[in-house]
Amino acid sequence: MKEEIELIKDGKRLDGRGFDELRPIKIEVGVLKRADGSCYLELGDNKVIAAVYGPREMHPRHAQDAKMAVVKFRYNMAPFSTDDRKRPGPDRRSVEISKVCREAFDPVIMRELYPKMGIEVYVELLQSDAGTRTAGINAASIALADAGIPMKDLVSSIAVGKINGEVVLDLNAAEDNNGEADMPIAMIARTNTITALQMDGRMTQEEFGRGMKLAMGACHQIYELQRTALVTRYNQNYESKSKGGEE
Amino acid sequence: MYQVVVPGDFLSEETKRAGEGTYVEEGKVYASQYGIVSERGEIKVVPLSGKYMPSNGDVVIGKITEISFPFWIVDLASPYEARLHVSALSGIARDKIEFGNMSEYLNVDDLVVVKVMDVNVLMKIELALQEDFELRRGGRLIEIAHTKVPRVIGRSGSMIKMLKEKCNCFIFIAKNGRIWIRGKEEDMDLASTVILKIARESHTSGLTDRVAEFLDSFRKEKERDL
Amino acid sequence: MGLEIVNDVRTDYVCDLVRNGKREDGRGFREYRDISVERDVIKRAEGSARVKIGDTEVLVGVKVELGTPFPDTPDKGVIITNAELVPLASPEFESGPPNENSIQLARVVDRGIRGSETIDLDKLCIEEGEKVWMVFIDIHVLDDNGNMVDAAALGAITSLLNLRIPNERYGLTGENTLPMRDTPVAVTMVEIEGNILVDPSFDEGNAAASSVTVISNADGTLSGMQKSGSGGLKEAQIAEMVEIGIEKAGEIRGKYL
Repeated sequence: MKEEIELIKDGKRLDGRGFDELRPIKIEVGVLKRADGSCYLELGDNKVIAAVYGPREMHPRHAQDAKMAVVKFRYNMAPFSTDDRKRPGPDRRSVEISKVCREAFDPVIMRELYPKMGIEVYVELLQSDAGTRTAGINAASIALADAGIPMKDLVSSIAVGKINGEVVLDLNAAEDNNGEADMPIAMIARTNTITALQMDGRMTQEEFGRGMKLAMGACHQIYELQRTALVTRYNQNYESKSKGGEE
Repeated sequence: MYQVVVPGDFLSEETKRAGEGTYVEEGKVYASQYGIVSERGEIKVVPLSGKYMPSNGDVVIGKITEISFPFWIVDLASPYEARLHVSALSGIARDKIEFGNMSEYLNVDDLVVVKVMDVNVLMKIELALQEDFELRRGGRLIEIAHTKVPRVIGRSGSMIKMLKEKCNCFIFIAKNGRIWIRGKEEDMDLASTVILKIARESHTSGLTDRVAEFLDSFRKEKERDL
Repeated sequence: MGLEIVNDVRTDYVCDLVRNGKREDGRGFREYRDISVERDVIKRAEGSARVKIGDTEVLVGVKVELGTPFPDTPDKGVIITNAELVPLASPEFESGPPNENSIQLARVVDRGIRGSETIDLDKLCIEEGEKVWMVFIDIHVLDDNGNMVDAAALGAITSLLNLRIPNERYGLTGENTLPMRDTPVAVTMVEIEGNILVDPSFDEGNAAASSVTVISNADGTLSGMQKSGSGGLKEAQIAEMVEIGIEKAGEIRGKYL
């Protein structure tokens, strides 16, 4: 039986957070010149860059969809992002996460507006500290908006977990490695619609229900941060702009 | 005072007025783009970024990329290519345009001013040539994001009017973000610099005044040098 | 192209049926197709099972070998789960390296087994840092007619329950069976037109926007969950799926394990 490592002391987590506290989040919009849209995001010690290319011609041709754009999502961890160097290239975990992340955006991207095109989303983890896919999804949402990809909503994401028998929000690496469960979700804040959900570990039905509520509440907080980053991106008031190109 | 919105922001319940950059769900209009809301007439969101998508009636500058009889394939700075049929040149061409001699009229890399005639569901775009379609030598092409074009034109054309006067250049701004300038070398340099500056600072306030100042101080410097 | 048109027609058909409370094969929304589980079908494997759910057929073989532990867990045995969607199982499967679907399948099944701490990995250690048992769970899908996950998971757990540790081969003495703490069972559900359907058939799987797999144990705890697909779900729908998942897992556990 696993020795329980003490992750909670005097009702607080080792990094001083309460059970329902997010790690600090930092967001920068439009950080790359070549990409059509981009976002740099920090979630605790996670550092991630998301970039979007598209809509652009989709290769290979035979993979094109005559009726709508095809979305590709590639989640990748840089070799230096983890304690033990991660060999470059996709591994099974990255392939699964890429699929889950892509599907998290399927309900919102208005793909029918770009038949035959491809929309590519690249998420690179530069430094990882658990919750990487959630950081990636949050950054990708902003990068997609920054690229002008039409969407019904932004998608927000966070994970909850269980440590020392307690359901807590946004595990860091130490907590994830020694915890009993890890449950990342992605959600559309406006409609409370879940677009991604995974659970790893062991939880009772009741803990699961509590975890969901905790995660969904946090997604609302994250949504506000995402929205604010986009809206205040230019940090100035807009002068009245001419509408519709009068010659 | 204009409002920046993000996808999913609620705009209005007047679904009949929903325009570009929005979508309707359960009787409400929401933004589908990251951009600026416009409520004159239609409720629209003017995107702050994104690719140029041709629509009927747009006058744009295209670049010939391929000859594929009976069409020239034209790049419009859009994810989608467009085509120009040989018949567009009938009336101008001396001989019948055939498979072998298409390049004598319009060749790969030529720039042309075209009008978007039709965009169908499968995104097949048909073009027609504008009068004065050829962009003659001695000019220069600049490309900016199509979303910045309204800024370079200015309210009621105020910005572009100022540019034409103070730079002493012929300037044609196409909807797809391609701009053709013609004039003396140094005048074209000035115009390019200013246009790129406007595109870069498009989101700031007081831009028109700043540009006017920039142009005036440049002129003064030139006069001092002479 | 032809396949797409056919898919659209089938999807409409499935949705129409669901709207009228029906399914193609006449099942109730909470009903599984006929399940059959055969044990020890592959002599050369230390454990194996052939599972059929309706026309979906999955063969699971478990091989046990002596190996060295991972550096960060020197006192624990190793479980490695892999899935092959072999080309003969479906016109849509191609040969080649594992694609995202087979990887997801393997990882979900693995998650269920690992999450419930079904296998006490400590007990698979023979010599700390040197020798441990490595358990290779290989899932071979033979016929994809929908819901490969549940069949694969059932095959995996059945194989593990009937595993023979090959002590003699290595001149060792020890337990001949695998110490198992619990029996996780995967239950996959889809959402169509607001209804939750258990054990999606092939067409139902295509027609549905989302599918959720709930893996639960005999004690009612959850040891894995995975949402897949392009749709969104409400909290209440997910809660209902968890409820149904635990219930159906209990039924399957009772009948087949």
